[in-house]
Amino acid sequence: MTLWFLRGLSRGVVTTRYPARPDQATALLPTPPAFRPGAIGPEEADQLAALCPSRALKREGAELVFDAGACTACGRCEQASPAVRESGHFELAATSRRDLVKRIPLKPEAGR
Amino acid sequence: MTAVLPARFELEAAELARGGGRLADMFAAGQDPVTLHLVWALDGERRYVITSCEISGEEYPSLSDLAPAAFLEECEIYEQFGIRPANGRPLNRVVLPPHAGPGFPRLGRQPEQEPAELRAAHTVGGHAFEFPFGPVRQVGVESLYYGLVTSGEEMVDLYLFTWHKHRGLEWRLQGQDPRAALFTVERAEGLSAVAMGWAFAAAVEAAAGLEPAADVQRTRAVALELERLYNHAAATAALCAATGLSVGQSAAEIVLEKLLRLNAAAFGHRYLFGVLDTGGTRRAPDAEVLRTELPRVHDELRRAASALLATNSFADRLEATGIVTAEQAGRLGLVGPVARASGIAIDTRLTQPSPPYASHPPAIAVRKTGDVLARFEVMQDEAAESVRLIGELLDAGTASGGTEPPARAGSGLGWAESSRGEALAWVRLDDRGQIARARLRPASVRNWRGFDDACRSQNVFTDVPIIEASFWLTVAGMAR
Amino acid sequence: MNKDQDPLPPASTRDPMPSGEPAEAAIQDAAGELRHRIASQFGRSLHIRTLDTGSCAVCEQEIRLLTAPHYDLHRLGFFFTPAPRHADLLLVTGPMIRAFDVAARKTYEAMPGPKIVVATGACALGGVYQADAFVHGSVGEVLPVDVWIPGCPPSPFALLQGLLVAVGRLYEKVSSLPFEVAG
Repeated sequence: MTLWFLRGLSRGVVTTRYPARPDQATALLPTPPAFRPGAIGPEEADQLAALCPSRALKREGAELVFDAGACTACGRCEQASPAVRESGHFELAATSRRDLVKRIPLKPEAGR
Repeated sequence: MTAVLPARFELEAAELARGGGRLADMFAAGQDPVTLHLVWALDGERRYVITSCEISGEEYPSLSDLAPAAFLEECEIYEQFGIRPANGRPLNRVVLPPHAGPGFPRLGRQPEQEPAELRAAHTVGGHAFEFPFGPVRQVGVESLYYGLVTSGEEMVDLYLFTWHKHRGLEWRLQGQDPRAALFTVERAEGLSAVAMGWAFAAAVEAAAGLEPAADVQRTRAVALELERLYNHAAATAALCAATGLSVGQSAAEIVLEKLLRLNAAAFGHRYLFGVLDTGGTRRAPDAEVLRTELPRVHDELRRAASALLATNSFADRLEATGIVTAEQAGRLGLVGPVARASGIAIDTRLTQPSPPYASHPPAIAVRKTGDVLARFEVMQDEAAESVRLIGELLDAGTASGGTEPPARAGSGLGWAESSRGEALAWVRLDDRGQIARARLRPASVRNWRGFDDACRSQNVFTDVPIIEASFWLTVAGMAR
Repeated sequence: MNKDQDPLPPASTRDPMPSGEPAEAAIQDAAGELRHRIASQFGRSLHIRTLDTGSCAVCEQEIRLLTAPHYDLHRLGFFFTPAPRHADLLLVTGPMIRAFDVAARKTYEAMPGPKIVVATGACALGGVYQADAFVHGSVGEVLPVDVWIPGCPPSPFALLQGLLVAVGRLYEKVSSLPFEVAG
């Protein structure tokens, strides 16, 4: 048992202080996307919705509807569009399912 | 792939089995007629052969006499396609849940009769009793239903039900675009995401005539070896948990967490999701971070493992526990570390080498005793070998890049050596290049059938979690 | 947690008020307060039961790591228990495969009240698998879910945040996160 005890002491403490202190390991985590409002046109929105493998994106009128609950942070929408970037948000717990559904305004149609 | 006439079907199979062929998988495809496909691994000749036979009636010649390993596949084919082997023996419910009536989605037509719920008769001094355990089991493990048959402490028999975790993945994949389908395939057995993704991508590439470049093949192998490493570390932690050695468990968990963070740093995801693509990979690894950190983390694992082997309270629980004999492993068609620990030297990185393993062969880890200790030792040897291989592959150069498969018909087989063993995938693409039939066969589909033999040999209840950790399979991979 | 602080979460974190009658709004208010009072009872020590309704096995691995040295759930007063009778919180993974319904309900009903249900992972939240003959798609179709944790898989950090939100030791923030790129 001494063997284990000494090894443990020499390693030190690896336990995170989260949530009392931020932990830089969270920077490694893949996170859901963030969208530039007014930058994505309706056609592009439809394409993004079609390529999402988890049905987290759809277009409703002049808005892109993003369901952060269905999102798997796979990055396909970010790869497809310069108006989409990683959000960096990893603290996503919600007490209401609706709070995870976000609406982003699309680019207004030409001529307006 | 050779198509065989029904008359020659049995003869061909007998010939292949006699010539040392291992029946790696059996599945059916199509409706009216249904075609039966047999995947034979000719390990000595370093290739696979698929024989196929159209079944116009309801029966086909039984293969479980030639290849007892085929029994569970025959059951699955019956549930999904309604065709059965001609030996008249009852077939068990394996894949679909009991309420799967006429409207339930199947790959083919509904069987005439309900599958049976039979197990072998138990006679142990007349006092054996059966008790169901699960599917909701201990903390943080997948749902799994065991039927334990015992005369007290001794394990007389153990049978498993996994239909409560059947997501119908092969059914879902029908009609999907093969490149987009990788998202679903990775999640067939998430802990083998790279292996299943690679096997499936390779099947699509074989069907479409694509050949990925050497550097992206090396990227795939780096990811696969990282997957093998973290799984073996996780199995080590699970073994410590099962033997009640919390200190060892913590040591192994520290290594596991560091490996998962390394996966995220190198490939963008702790479990390496989203790496595989058709024709290559979606990402290339951060070679620098792997080169600097990996040897250090592996060294911790190595020291923890040797400390564990020097700890009697751990090593004594592993020795002579959960023995799978070479005969059992061969008869049941087991693969991976479980087979290798029992002396069966199959490792598709060597026995069916495809790039890049043909130019970067790993040393194979084999033991003879077939107990939990042997499986533990095989995993540690493989972990060391994976680190060495990753270094070699990074030195040779890695890159990313994929291809949209062309929109035309074809079929193909793909494989990869997951941390659990040989993972297979087969795909048929229709004229538009969409999936007409996808077969997914993670190693778990094979190796769970060795679990009851391992539990039966002179073991008691408290050995079961230890044996389960040493197999390190998943229910998701078996149930799909 | 400072006892002198206002124990109710800010209004923005409660369910949006349904349009219409004040009576309904009052009920929503009371439900939120009750839920919060219940949750705060679990603030110092909580026992968690896990439930897999069809996951790919990766969510379970992240959950197991909660007791690993890097995360050490125990320092927060949370413990895992295999006994439903001891459990306060049910941590559910998977897309709620229909063949699992009975087992899921039995596990939930075996837990004495008050109890909290936390659905974790994109599958459990309705992503990945669409509702069909095999799966419900969302755990919420079969069990009353109190907290939803997205991710594929949710990392142990995300799980910790979700559990602390579930017992009222952290306020949820996602309702006010914009998911928009500036400029």
